[in-house]
Amino acid sequence: MTSLSGALAAATITPPHIEYGQLSPLLVVFGAAVAGVLVEAFVPRERRRAFHLVIALGGLVAAFALIISVAATPSLFAHGSPGHVVAMGAVGVDGPTLFIQGTIVVLAFVSVLLIAESSHGVSPFAAQAAAVPGSAEEREGLLRGISHTEVYPLTLFAVGGMMLFPAANDLLTMFVALEVLSLPLYLLCGLARRRRLISQEAAMKYFLLGAFSSAFFLFGVAMLYGYSGSVSLSAIAAAAATNVSSATLLYAGIALVGIGLLFKIGAVPFQSWKPDVYQGAPTAVTALMASCTVVSAFGGLLRVFYVAFGQLTWDWRPAMWGVAILTMLAGAIIAITQTDVKRMLAYSSIAHGGFVLTAVVAATAAGLSASLFYLAVYGLTTIGAFAVVTLVRDPAGEANHLSKWAGLGKRSPWLAGVFAFFLLAFAGIPLTSGFAGKFAVFQAAAAGGALPLVIIGVLASAVAAFFYVRVIVLMFFSDPAPDGPTVVTPGLFTGAAVAVGAAATLVFGIAPEPLLALASHAAAHLFVR
Amino acid sequence: MLTLYVPILMLAALAALFAGFSLVMGALAGPKRWNRAKLQAYESGIEPTPQPSGGGRFPVKYYLTAMLFILFDIEIIFLYPWAVTFRSLGVFGLVEMVLFIVTVLVAYAYVWRRGGLEWD
Amino acid sequence: MNAAHVLAASTVGAGAVVAFWILAVISVAAALGLVLAPRAVHGAVLLAVVMLSLAVLYGVAGAPFLAFVQIIVYTGAVLMLFLFVLMIVGVSAADSMRETIRGQRLAAGLAGIGLLVLLALVVGHAAIGPAAPAGSNYGVLNVQRLAQLIFTRYVFPFELTSALLITAALGAMVLAHRERTSPKPSQRDLARQRVRGDHPAPLPGPGVYARGDAADMPALLPDGTPSPLSLNPVMARRRGSAIRVPGPGVPAPLPPGEPGKDGGPDAEPDREGAHP
Repeated sequence: MTSLSGALAAATITPPHIEYGQLSPLLVVFGAAVAGVLVEAFVPRERRRAFHLVIALGGLVAAFALIISVAATPSLFAHGSPGHVVAMGAVGVDGPTLFIQGTIVVLAFVSVLLIAESSHGVSPFAAQAAAVPGSAEEREGLLRGISHTEVYPLTLFAVGGMMLFPAANDLLTMFVALEVLSLPLYLLCGLARRRRLISQEAAMKYFLLGAFSSAFFLFGVAMLYGYSGSVSLSAIAAAAATNVSSATLLYAGIALVGIGLLFKIGAVPFQSWKPDVYQGAPTAVTALMASCTVVSAFGGLLRVFYVAFGQLTWDWRPAMWGVAILTMLAGAIIAITQTDVKRMLAYSSIAHGGFVLTAVVAATAAGLSASLFYLAVYGLTTIGAFAVVTLVRDPAGEANHLSKWAGLGKRSPWLAGVFAFFLLAFAGIPLTSGFAGKFAVFQAAAAGGALPLVIIGVLASAVAAFFYVRVIVLMFFSDPAPDGPTVVTPGLFTGAAVAVGAAATLVFGIAPEPLLALASHAAAHLFVR
Repeated sequence: MLTLYVPILMLAALAALFAGFSLVMGALAGPKRWNRAKLQAYESGIEPTPQPSGGGRFPVKYYLTAMLFILFDIEIIFLYPWAVTFRSLGVFGLVEMVLFIVTVLVAYAYVWRRGGLEWD
Repeated sequence: MNAAHVLAASTVGAGAVVAFWILAVISVAAALGLVLAPRAVHGAVLLAVVMLSLAVLYGVAGAPFLAFVQIIVYTGAVLMLFLFVLMIVGVSAADSMRETIRGQRLAAGLAGIGLLVLLALVVGHAAIGPAAPAGSNYGVLNVQRLAQLIFTRYVFPFELTSALLITAALGAMVLAHRERTSPKPSQRDLARQRVRGDHPAPLPGPGVYARGDAADMPALLPDGTPSPLSLNPVMARRRGSAIRVPGPGVPAPLPPGEPGKDGGPDAEPDREGAHP
């Protein structure tokens, strides 16, 4: 025993090699988050928001610049290499990942603008989340006009997790990233300033179901580890190519990991959390979830299914077909019956997840690039739409019931016009980015041999178009209700968010080529293994 | 392999023996005078924290204490393997652990500055 | 010594097999009880049994680090948190067994049975090869090898867990800590308050009588009336307490028995020894 420990003490362990340069976008975002916590600790309350804004927005801008500089590194993609595996095999840096990370950072920037909006004297977040709704303490906090500024570091932690999730090259790192991105979101969902009970209920639901899905994911990881003896995606792929003796473990692992990933996307039949959570969460947080989280979850799904299960396309494709069909149809059909604008957008987000899944099942570079493009343009449009939702208010807060939106076009034609434009983009009308995105994914799916999926997708789009147009008709051709909501003048930040969303929807609708070319360039070599 | 656990098992057996002995001997040898005060929770001599009657619900501030305890418990778990291999890990192990601890200390600083460690 | 260790690690001894079968029965039974127990507190205690059984299983399987993490973190900390949460919810809270969604129980039962059949079929068909031989990562070197992996191969996710810990601290503070809106009263404030209050002097102690140290019996004032101030309000409020401490301004009810005639201690004469 003594000789053994003596031998061990002598044997030094080689230090790990960490590529800080290629990890720098991630490190900057996490560093900004930690700095935000320090601000919470040491800066007096009234000056915190300014500090947070500088740190959060600055960190995201820096991360975006670093992503571009990493992507522009010639050595990274030399000799047709898809990219590098860095941080001792924990993180893959490659074209699709950088594209997804860039998308997430841009979307997060706009979401942070929405989160920071307080031009009407109040932030969208609770004064004291620990005070019981309706209690004297709550009223006291509201009267003092304070709000939780912890939301900024929490958002940054979530964004960091979202950036790591699609980059994780082994399932262990991916699980940690999944938790890093989920935990802050669970919290953020419960911090609404108005309608706090429904917000807390949303947080509770999201937390319980999310923890359940994480358990599925972890169980799947255990199965795959048992099958291949490794958690690394490439090692699992290698084992799947050679070892067929205990394929049951492999299939069970694929199914369980797939459930964990599809839950985050909100694919049917794992969608039940989405409408409740999107409705209850503060709208700025809903915008963050509907854009960044979806992009990140799709990134993770794409990497796992293209890298680890890339050789088993024939095995998982039928299940993914079923999920895609269910998701498109259920999302589009249930959305028709919704009377709450946030719930309607949630179901619309479910249906859009189904559209992207059609490209995922193609399992080709074209499918990958189409997914990347779709996610980017859909994310920008959806943030814009939720930004508009924050502006339609009545004395109780946001007026989310669709009946209150009747005749909005007559009162504030500009705002209703912009929202109608976003809805048309969701419906996939030409000259909007939604059309370009749908065209790209359906084209990739058809080329990948999934023509029936495309037909169902087009049908679902037609159903979806019905309820989008119904809202437009409601806004422009109904009489406004006498006690209808007021449309507040957008503050600088919300205005910027709406403008960015609208501009992106228009520009990528008219001239999608540059972004499409970038996506296809990023996806050309698929993921690094 | 299982010989690893012999000292621990012996310690556990001793502890169980001591606990059992104390209970049994107390029950056998001690005088039994019933007194409602003896059924109170013992809080180190101060008057017990008031609880609502009927089984009572604890104030939520206990949860904060328990949660913070878990945080630093998990942090400490990583220190065990690090301490065991400290020599072979060398400087980079020290740097990694310092980085980890400093990051968690940020959380500590936040909790401390915001009064999470105060009991009022 | 070394050779014995390595040999023991590579072969599964009879002791390990016996331990497995005993612990398997205990842990599955406790897990079933955990699910079926209507009282949450009983569930928590059974969960502790499950966790401890698992810890011993890990230890027997040659993973001492995991075994102790299981005990220190899960049984020691997480389970305590569960108990705290149960206390917050209320110890006596029990599950309501009433269906809120019609037909839910039937549907859940059918789905559960379906899943069970599916799993049984799959596992029955699974050709799970022989377990990988216990490598040098198990047994005496377990902690060292684990450290090597954590601090080299998985150093990035390891450092990332600190982000999780920070998030958890933020979350605990945001959800459970209410910041003071008024400054905390200082010693000086408290002292001033006390001097200006009704009782600058200490409150009277409880009645201590010849037959037993009845700390739950009120002291008797010179005129023979019991003094409610002499009782700990927490104890007096307990269920089954003979004495109710009245609010301020309400005259104290007399304890059962004859007041003024040495009544206090004799109020409940047979208490002593009645409750072992």
